Amino acid sequence: MFIEKRTITAQEQKRIATISTIVLISIFAIILLAFWSIQILKGKDFAQKALKNIYAEIILKAPRGVISDRFGHVIASNRLHFSLFFKNEQQSKIDQISDKHLSQIGINRSEVTSRLSYFSTRNTHSLIPIRRNLPIRSVVYIESRPELLPFFQIEIEPARAYPFGDSGSHILGFMGEISSGELERLNDLGYSMGDVIGKSGLEKQYEHFLKGNKGKQSVIKDNQGTIHGITEVRAPAIGATVVTTLDFPIQEQVEQIFKDQIGTIAILDLKDGGILSLISHPNFDPDTLSGIITTEFWNAMLNDPNHPLQNRFTQGQYSPGSVFKLVVALSGLSEQLITPETTVLCTGSVSIYDRPFRCWQTSGHGYVKLAEAIKGSCNVYFYQLGKKLDVDQIAYTAQQLGLGKTTGIDLPNEKEGIIPTKNWKEKEKNQPWFPGETISVSIGGGWVNVTPAQILHMVSIIALRGREPNIHLVKKIEKDGQSLFSYQPKPNNCTIDKVYFESVIEGMWRAVNKEGTARRTAIPGMDICGKTGTQQIISKENPSYSKLVHQTKFRPHAWFASFAPRDNPRYAVVVLVEHGGDAGEFAVPLAHRVYQLLQYRDQNV
Amino acid sequence: MPYLWHTAYTSYYNIGIRMSDFFKYFDRISFVIMLLISSLGIVLIFSASHSNPSNFALKQTIWLLVAIFIFFGVTLVKTTSLFKLAPLFFIATLFILVIQLIFGHFTAGVKSWIRTELFNIQASELIKIPLTLIIAKFMTKIDALSWGNLFRLLLLISPAFFLISIQPDLGTAFLLTSFLLMVLLLKGIRLSVLFTILILLSAIIIISWNFLLKPYQKDRLISFINPEQYSQTIGYQVIQSKIAIGAGGLGGQGYLKGSQAQMKFLPARHTDFILSVLGEEFGFLGISILLFLFFLFFYRQFKIRVTSDENFYYCYLFTGFILFQFLINVLMSIGLFPIMGVPLPFVSYGGSSMITFFIGEAIIFRMKLDYYST
Repeated sequence: MFIEKRTITAQEQKRIATISTIVLISIFAIILLAFWSIQILKGKDFAQKALKNIYAEIILKAPRGVISDRFGHVIASNRLHFSLFFKNEQQSKIDQISDKHLSQIGINRSEVTSRLSYFSTRNTHSLIPIRRNLPIRSVVYIESRPELLPFFQIEIEPARAYPFGDSGSHILGFMGEISSGELERLNDLGYSMGDVIGKSGLEKQYEHFLKGNKGKQSVIKDNQGTIHGITEVRAPAIGATVVTTLDFPIQEQVEQIFKDQIGTIAILDLKDGGILSLISHPNFDPDTLSGIITTEFWNAMLNDPNHPLQNRFTQGQYSPGSVFKLVVALSGLSEQLITPETTVLCTGSVSIYDRPFRCWQTSGHGYVKLAEAIKGSCNVYFYQLGKKLDVDQIAYTAQQLGLGKTTGIDLPNEKEGIIPTKNWKEKEKNQPWFPGETISVSIGGGWVNVTPAQILHMVSIIALRGREPNIHLVKKIEKDGQSLFSYQPKPNNCTIDKVYFESVIEGMWRAVNKEGTARRTAIPGMDICGKTGTQQIISKENPSYSKLVHQTKFRPHAWFASFAPRDNPRYAVVVLVEHGGDAGEFAVPLAHRVYQLLQYRDQNV
Repeated sequence: MPYLWHTAYTSYYNIGIRMSDFFKYFDRISFVIMLLISSLGIVLIFSASHSNPSNFALKQTIWLLVAIFIFFGVTLVKTTSLFKLAPLFFIATLFILVIQLIFGHFTAGVKSWIRTELFNIQASELIKIPLTLIIAKFMTKIDALSWGNLFRLLLLISPAFFLISIQPDLGTAFLLTSFLLMVLLLKGIRLSVLFTILILLSAIIIISWNFLLKPYQKDRLISFINPEQYSQTIGYQVIQSKIAIGAGGLGGQGYLKGSQAQMKFLPARHTDFILSVLGEEFGFLGISILLFLFFLFFYRQFKIRVTSDENFYYCYLFTGFILFQFLINVLMSIGLFPIMGVPLPFVSYGGSSMITFFIGEAIIFRMKLDYYST
């Protein structure tokens, strides 16, 4: 059939033309069938895919609800900031962006790629957040460079603003990007990757109310992610307003009083159980924490020896020291092992179970009754009482006074502390309880571990003569004028008899007003009652005590638990200064200034 | 050389056909089909690129007018003169290709050595004309392919193939294999040669796959087999092209309304994937019309009657070349062939290719004129 090296005849030309025509017809028939299959048979599927290509949903972030103090001062609100997003469609072309551009924007390549790979686990995002709170200089840099626009998108988003800076940072908490664990746990609540969520404090505790409802925008976008039209909009709704019991002018003043010491001061309004002011130092800056933070920065915060992220009020666990004598006194009274008139001779030390136990006042207190023992914080009195008491009896009273369990304050991750019992020791330490340990416990040493919140709870129960103070931070939550929540106190009384409280309160009153350990708090007309606690870090028996005690880390913690006035109590105040030194010298004067403030508040509010 | 000058000189004074015969026997139908297909191309190019500031549709219109002008110029030249001048043109275009290659090394990525828009004609396109003429002439001198003939044929094709493929323009280079195919189909091949070649070919494929092909070239070939697996990267083009064509349905989404094309999901819309724009905006009906026009065109060119063997071979070589390119582009658009930068003849944007096809066709038109006027 092939043509040889000779002239082609007319027949041959015709024959080849015929074969060509047949081949042509078959080829075109096959092509036509292929198009039929794609366009007619599978047309609907492809049309669906085409729609999926061009339609996109843009989530509009909702501004968070406002947090205010009891007078309506806004303490957490919203501002707008620029957020930098990378367009996911351009992921493969990231190498086209020069290092010069990236450094001018203020980001580095590894930061971008790690964000991209983090988000690539969920393929639904077209915009990947790289940086929040982008400085205006970077915004201008990107927007004025056409070659960067295909890669980046800058959005204006609502962000948290804290008008008082780091004041009250531990109450408010901070915001952060939702973790994969949180995302799984809060699956049904409309969160998605890259969302910002309350990580601690009230921001976390009331996240559900504060978060608001996201809005949605359906858009038509092109291959570069450029938006060509909006087909549907649902506006975002701001979260509910959370009204706290805080008195922020007082809060700010107390921050000033405490300066940059480490520790905590809390003021409770005993009339309603609302926290008036709560400081825990060192503070942190909620603004720096609330962007997209680097692992290094986060690790630096976690490894900071001063633990700035810890709320010392609810999460710091300390030996209560002499403050615990109040518990032991109440335990002895309610077990009827002592009366207020029981007298003990303090000579500066006492030998119990063949071991010497010393009083802090080496010259001794002489003959002391209960009230005097509390006023002078006489160790010997309480050693003798501790010898009579069983540790489980002390633990029972401590439980009644709110120790060894959370106070129920509306802050996340509150610690429980430890109130030792015989069972506890056997279970936790695999050892029986030794009677000598009860002697240590009777002056607040040994295994006893409490949070300042628990001490506030305890001193409030004493002030209220056994009534539950109902400690809380949030008074009410409102949205669009409707109340979503308002705090309901739970009436509760402990089993300790009122009469016993009066005996202990007499001692606390004398400690302040009759030249006791807390005399420096005294304010005429305030009728303050209080108990100091100086918790030694190293034993006084330590041979190098006098040398070491000058180093900050070996100085004792200074406690002061108090309330005022004695009758119809109004305020409870707890002070803890970590490694502050002697309580009477370092914690008590701070309380004095706090009560001055409160006196001023009473005269003016 | 004096001989070549003489040929050029005489063909200038003697166009070898009476103007009355020219107008009488000119293949108007085929010419109109070519114009229709090219005009449809401009319409589609506009749709694919109207958001682009460089006005491709207008440029293509100008190219078409230039091509028509050159087309008539070429029909006035005697084919015998063209066959005589072919070697000269061939060497000239090869020379330009070499120059391009050298300059290409200095300015990376530059394919054309003259950057001015109007002179931006690619030698890699133009070289097809003299190459077709030379091979057609060569075919008159051989029987079924023997080793010697095959070697000589490869010797003709390989310089152009080599120079184009290192540009690198693998698509255009690959199209040159259509000449081999046409010679094979028209002339046949000795069985011993055929079997040896098949064995060698499989060896070459194995070697080049393992050692020669660059990763991105391999990826292209793999992605053709299973595009879904590469949907975000190299399979992207095929998938988007198929989505566009499929979304067109029966009647299409309407001119300038194809979402894939207008929202830029379709890659290389005004060049390699222009057929997908047609499929999306004009649907199966639009595709059928274009296919019908192409069918008619090929049918009319294949049933040609000519005055000499070399004319016959030329017609089949050149029309076969267009058919080959057409097929690869169409199959590529619907995912039945690996993606290689092959435009759709007459339709895709590109001045050089438009002019080349019009010149090549002008020669066939002249051959038809010669046959009917004698």
